[in-house]
Amino acid sequence: MATTTATITLTSSDIADNSISISNTATLTKAGSATGLDQTSGLRRRTLSGTPATTKLIDLDYYQDQVLTENRAAKVYIKNTGTSTAQYVKVSMRTGTSDAAEEIGWLYGGDWMLFPYAAVWQEAAHVNNQDIDIIASNTDSVTLEYMVLYE
Amino acid sequence: MATTTATITLTSSDLLSDSLSLSSTATLYDAGTTTGLTQYDMGKVDIPGDNNIYVLLDSTAAGVDKANRVYVANKNTNDAHYVIILINETVIGRLYAGDWMFIPWSQSDAAANLEVRAPSELNTIEYAFFHEGRTFTGA
Repeated sequence: MATTTATITLTSSDIADNSISISNTATLTKAGSATGLDQTSGLRRRTLSGTPATTKLIDLDYYQDQVLTENRAAKVYIKNTGTSTAQYVKVSMRTGTSDAAEEIGWLYGGDWMLFPYAAVWQEAAHVNNQDIDIIASNTDSVTLEYMVLYE
Repeated sequence: MATTTATITLTSSDLLSDSLSLSSTATLYDAGTTTGLTQYDMGKVDIPGDNNIYVLLDSTAAGVDKANRVYVANKNTNDAHYVIILINETVIGRLYAGDWMFIPWSQSDAAANLEVRAPSELNTIEYAFFHEGRTFTGA
């Protein structure tokens, strides 16, 4: 089995009278076990440019071929590699009704996120899939790095 | 302004044939600026294992379309325990014992609450919410 760890360190010396320092390490394991996640998309890059349009960053049709088992302990990492603090990329998850999606958040230049991913796949038409969509806030080129770790 | 940073280090020596070592640090700014976030809430709560959806963080008008960030960690130790993370009742994923997550949370509208659901066991979670402000309700 593989051993993959994710460590977060959150610090601030001046957001309050006393410093904040949060540190936590997770060993990324399969659902309900101590066996490590052993599948990954690898670290990938995706560049958006031009007129902003909703783009599928994680397409579950593609991952179904590799058996990204849904409702397990998958994790998704996404980083906006840009430096702009004005431009952002909106990250959303399809909700299973029509083409609707629930917005998660905005990644500004330098921001990253790591979250657990249910990855529920229903149909090739995508309308009921938990595909992950992205859209840039303006026409400037922006590059994301991302990785999926799964069972 | 305050300077708050979030660093992730993702490593594995055996997931791939070569070592994986990834590290990234983000400075947490107000939306569209280089002014650091100045407000935060932190907490530790027990989520009942009754399969009900509970609001962990309430989306409010002051937070809509802002650069809020949320950290959540599941402090249980039993590998089988997990909480389901949702936004506006849309499932994001399962946060198993020992796992943590860190996301931007734009609070797209007043219904975009960050929610949790523990299907069967009580789960203790810790959270930190860095934000630009929230709307208070009157007494």
